[in-house]
Amino acid sequence: MASNYLSNSALKAINRIGDMMIPRNGEFPSFSEVGGIAYIDDLVSYAPPADIKDLNLLLTILAFMPNFVLRWLLNRMENSMESSGPLAPIFRMLDVGLRGLIFSCYYTEKIPASYTGKKPLDIIGFDLTRVED
Amino acid sequence: MYDYIIIGTGPSGGNIAHNLFKAGANILVLEAGKLMNKKTFPRTEADTSARLYWGGGIEFDTDAKMGFLRTRVVGGTSIVNQCLLDRFDDIAFNDWKAESGVNWFTNEQLAKHYDTVEHALALHTFTANEMNRNAQLFTQSCDKIGVKWGYLRKGQSDCAQERGNDCMACLGGCHRDSKQSSYAGYLRDDIAAGLNIQTETEVTQIVNNGNTVTLHALQQGKPLTFQAKNIVLAGGAFGTTKMLLQSGFKKQLPALGKNFSTHPQFMSFGLFNEEIHAYKGYFQTVASKDPNLRQKGYKLENVFAPPISAAMLFSRTGAYHQEIMRNYTRMTCIEVAVRDENAGEIKVDNKGKLTIDKPFTAQDRRRRDEGRELIANILTNEGAKKVYASPFSVGLHLMGGSVMGTDSAKSVVDPEFRVHGYKNMFVADSSIYPNAPGINPSLTIMALAQKLSDQLIGANHGI
Ligand SMILES: Cc1cc2nc3c(=O)[nH]c(=O)nc-3n(C[C@H](O)[C@H](O)[C@H](O)COP(=O)(O)OP(=O)(O)OC[C@H]3O[C@@H](n4cnc5c(N)ncnc54)[C@H](O)[C@@H]3O)c2cc1C
Repeated sequence: MASNYLSNSALKAINRIGDMMIPRNGEFPSFSEVGGIAYIDDLVSYAPPADIKDLNLLLTILAFMPNFVLRWLLNRMENSMESSGPLAPIFRMLDVGLRGLIFSCYYTEKIPASYTGKKPLDIIGFDLTRVED
Repeated sequence: MYDYIIIGTGPSGGNIAHNLFKAGANILVLEAGKLMNKKTFPRTEADTSARLYWGGGIEFDTDAKMGFLRTRVVGGTSIVNQCLLDRFDDIAFNDWKAESGVNWFTNEQLAKHYDTVEHALALHTFTANEMNRNAQLFTQSCDKIGVKWGYLRKGQSDCAQERGNDCMACLGGCHRDSKQSSYAGYLRDDIAAGLNIQTETEVTQIVNNGNTVTLHALQQGKPLTFQAKNIVLAGGAFGTTKMLLQSGFKKQLPALGKNFSTHPQFMSFGLFNEEIHAYKGYFQTVASKDPNLRQKGYKLENVFAPPISAAMLFSRTGAYHQEIMRNYTRMTCIEVAVRDENAGEIKVDNKGKLTIDKPFTAQDRRRRDEGRELIANILTNEGAKKVYASPFSVGLHLMGGSVMGTDSAKSVVDPEFRVHGYKNMFVADSSIYPNAPGINPSLTIMALAQKLSDQLIGANHGI
């Protein structure tokens, strides 16, 4: 797995955070098992270069955080809608940004052939019909 | 030198470009987004956010509590919208008149412009047999509780429902050209007929030279300039206001950026034992149509969200998240759309980035809470085992920032659609809305654009 936009540490961070947000549970595979991150460039390539730079920096910092710190951070993010104070908007922004990346790579039609399990969209029963003439 | 340059191609710019093109005017259309069509619109939810939306999906207020959605593509936000097209009522126009001092804000004065727009587009009012299970449960419960509801009217020509098409797919652009976006409704045929349009071209600065206007733009990063005798700004509430702010017009126009409103929406999901499949078929056919709720300042919409968006509505991850997603097909959904106060302000920081202040006022909160309580009641009465209320609010109807009014100290655009003090700069998009109407804005945006088109064509003796 490689990206033209995100560093290897950044990709590692996404997989780690992804597995914390979506662990293997019942019929749900974990985030990293599915491997939708292989198509992350399809999403990131549309962002302005300055935003990609900021994302790389942020994810690289997160990649080097120990698990317990990362879990604390995710917890702060999860509860940020109710919190106030000068840091609350930053946690809220982080929350939406990271969840956006993770969910986009998980609830997706674009999954590598190497993953042979049931796809998350099939597990939740989402089967959109497009009638095109 | 063009007679008119139109900036933006949403419901406003699309309508005006179409009318001026048909009238034979010497025009150029500039659009920051790409030209896409039914074959090239994104096919996945994630690609839709990344490719079509400004901000890669969502933009936030400074407090990061509210997200705003708008798109960057030929057709503007009408490419992704639900194309529900409603005329305003007297409540909305009376409040506009009171705020702006503009006396032609009446249904009678705008009737012929509404008529023209409605005549040009294919419109469909839903019927009982087009409701999916989500809508059936909503209406049954409303009937029991005594909330009045009605069928929605949508701009669409042929959605192939009888062949099992799911309209949720058209949130990423309609792959059938059925939805009456300003692309399908106006621009597609004009472009084929030779309309002069430059895409992926973002206007960054406007210089008014008196009798002419110079526009500085970036076309795929490359700087370009354009000259016109007149310009029409149709970049939407954020786009138009941003262009004016970064061009330094705030000095003459103190109201620039102010009076922003957005009809914040809050979704609640109800969990059922039975399979609902709320995303199937026409997924939005009915809404509350209750004078009582109208007076209270909110309405209820029977909607649903595709998987990533549904997941995004709840912060909690892990098991809680998986519980919601596991039950995706057994959920119904209702949202409250608040008729909010126009207390927001659109600004541009020193790096040229938009910043949006959107205080959620005590009145807004009261309306949201009342609406949510009613939704919980409706869902429980439907038979929901559990109700999940999302804490997030999303603004889909971005309005104001360059509002219309008679007083140049309190508004940006005069009653003849001219930026105060400039005879050759016009605006007729969602940025001129004086306050939140509490009604879907697109049809009225097009009716106002039609009025401006008629004015411009008339002033130039048919052009
Ligand atoms: C998911 C969703 C569902 C919705 N559903 C409905 C509905 O059912 N009914 C309804 O009435 N409304 C609905 N809306 C809202 C409606 O789509 C908007 O209110 C409407 O499109 C605004 O029209 P506009 O012409 O003012 O701006 P827009 O449609 O936003 O168009 C502005 C255009 O200008 C371009 N632009 C901006 N800045 C520049 C620049 N500097 N240079 C060049 N180009 C620029 C943008 O790229 C864009 O294409 C919905 C919105 C969303 C997001």
